[in-house]
Amino acid sequence: MTVLALLPLFHFALAPVSLLQGRLARRLSALAVLVDAALVGWLLASIAGGGDLGIVMGEAAVGLGIRLVADPLTIGFTLLTLLIEGALVAYLWSEAPRAYFYTLLHLLFGAVFSTLFTRDLFNIFVTLELLTLVSFLLVGYERKARQVWASLKYLVLASLGMSLYLIGVALIYYHTGTLDLDAIAAGLPPGPVPRWVWLGSALLLSGIAVKSGVFLFSIWLPEAHARAHSAVSALLSGLVIKMGVVVLIGLAATFPVSVSLQVLGAVTGILGLVYAITTDDLKRMLAYSTLSQLGYVILGVGIGTAASLTAAGSYAVAHGLFKGLLFLAAGTAIREGGFRDIAPLIAQRGRVSRGVRLALLVGTLGIVGLPPLAGFAAKSLLTHATAALPVQGVMFLMSLGTAAAFAKLGRLLWPGKGAWGSATANLSFIVLGLPVLFFLPLAWPVLPRALAAAGRSPIPYAESLAAIVGGYLLHRWIRRRPRRALPQRFLRLEEGVMTILSGFFLVLILVWLQAR
Amino acid sequence: MGVLNGVTVAIILFGIGLLGLILRRDLVIKLLALGLINSSTILCLVSLNARPDGAPPLLQGNGLGAMVDPLPHALVLSAIVINFAILALALVFVMLLVERYHTTDSRRIEEEVAREEGE
Repeated sequence: MTVLALLPLFHFALAPVSLLQGRLARRLSALAVLVDAALVGWLLASIAGGGDLGIVMGEAAVGLGIRLVADPLTIGFTLLTLLIEGALVAYLWSEAPRAYFYTLLHLLFGAVFSTLFTRDLFNIFVTLELLTLVSFLLVGYERKARQVWASLKYLVLASLGMSLYLIGVALIYYHTGTLDLDAIAAGLPPGPVPRWVWLGSALLLSGIAVKSGVFLFSIWLPEAHARAHSAVSALLSGLVIKMGVVVLIGLAATFPVSVSLQVLGAVTGILGLVYAITTDDLKRMLAYSTLSQLGYVILGVGIGTAASLTAAGSYAVAHGLFKGLLFLAAGTAIREGGFRDIAPLIAQRGRVSRGVRLALLVGTLGIVGLPPLAGFAAKSLLTHATAALPVQGVMFLMSLGTAAAFAKLGRLLWPGKGAWGSATANLSFIVLGLPVLFFLPLAWPVLPRALAAAGRSPIPYAESLAAIVGGYLLHRWIRRRPRRALPQRFLRLEEGVMTILSGFFLVLILVWLQAR
Repeated sequence: MGVLNGVTVAIILFGIGLLGLILRRDLVIKLLALGLINSSTILCLVSLNARPDGAPPLLQGNGLGAMVDPLPHALVLSAIVINFAILALALVFVMLLVERYHTTDSRRIEEEVAREEGE
């Protein structure tokens, strides 16, 4: 299907045009949203018509082509990309950044679309490296020293991770002679897992984990996401991190990595929350919360059944929506209120416009999982997908912690009175906020059976309400306790390299245990 | 091939690069170490798939024996270009940091940035 190739190519073509025609860049980006919407509509129509969902680029005859495939999961991520793109263009409209910024945006969306559809191990490497480079430039866009340093750390650690991944690709190619994920899955020998498979799986998994927000591997994330321009934070937390998840879902279907993913997911979820609860800086809190939410998703990917993969994918999409919304709203709130920390922001809440506070409210309700918003729908899908009690316990703990972390926002969330704020910013909040509110009816055409099965019992409703109330009580309890600063040392570059290394050995052991 | 084949050399180079990345505080040397790591992965990719007795992968081949697999070479070309881009951009950002703090010491930059953020 040509549309799969057109989506990325269109953005790659638009990037140099917006650099050369600087004055048109802003209008071109709005045009790009419309063209993307049309292309995605075409994609949906051809899927509804039962068309072939794949295309092979290059020498298909000799088995060397790069296959692009769209499945229901990638469709969800495609829609997320489209919504985030629309919201960003609206958000940046009044700010009018330089043409260079729009060039980077188009390169990023092109890379995102090509990562979504590819099923080729080396093509994944190339598109992920492109994503790294573009997000590196976006984080450092304002040239503030703290941004430059955070993005440099990101680049070094991501590049190290991708070298691990490339060694894994070399190993897999040496033994299977192909780079196509489905062909590798078909070619893996049955019976006991040979040594090269678990070594290769550990290398691939560690490489992707660096890119996808797993705690041991992605310690670059809190600083890079918190210090970047808010539009960039929304893009990175909402979308770029999810590309790692998309690749992880592909890997989990092929390689024996489910035990390691479950362990990494649980560790990420709990540790991310501990930091999110104890952080006062609003954007940093959101960044740590991204880590913990990714723990949810990775846990779901690790369970590895078809239902849990669908649930994990839906949760990743839902998280993209509300975290994008939260970061955009937080950026405006910080600019209007004049503080980065939450407590003074609450004191200055009169200066924060009403639209922003409403957006924060919708995002928070979405992320803590109030029925029937996006977070609740995706969470109950995920809980429904597993019967194992420990996994469900960890998931409940994560919901509880998320509610405790976001209870800190308190009265900042009350819409109350005041001016509505800028119209274009509000438009961007609406673009992301409406899907958060109406996630259930919107997801119905894609996931009717899974949603109906998960929604039949009253347990998810009781569970999510209990988590919200419990989280609020936990927040009240924590607030009265004396505060102790958590270690921040591991955020340094040298420690980052060492945690990636130790994470790799942990994954190696876990994959080996599972393979036996 | 003996013990000292391409793959072992690649693993040794990877280790040296890691040590440089962890132990040396100078950012430029850190980037050189990163370059070493990236090059070692390329060496690994090439030497894993090498065939010393293979014929060059040309269409008008001489018909003598099996051809070398051309795909790893194509992959390596892209990987080299990507690594070049990464090093070049990283060096530009190191220059920005040096202009600001007049040092390439990663520990000191870390402290300065933390102090500025605390204010």
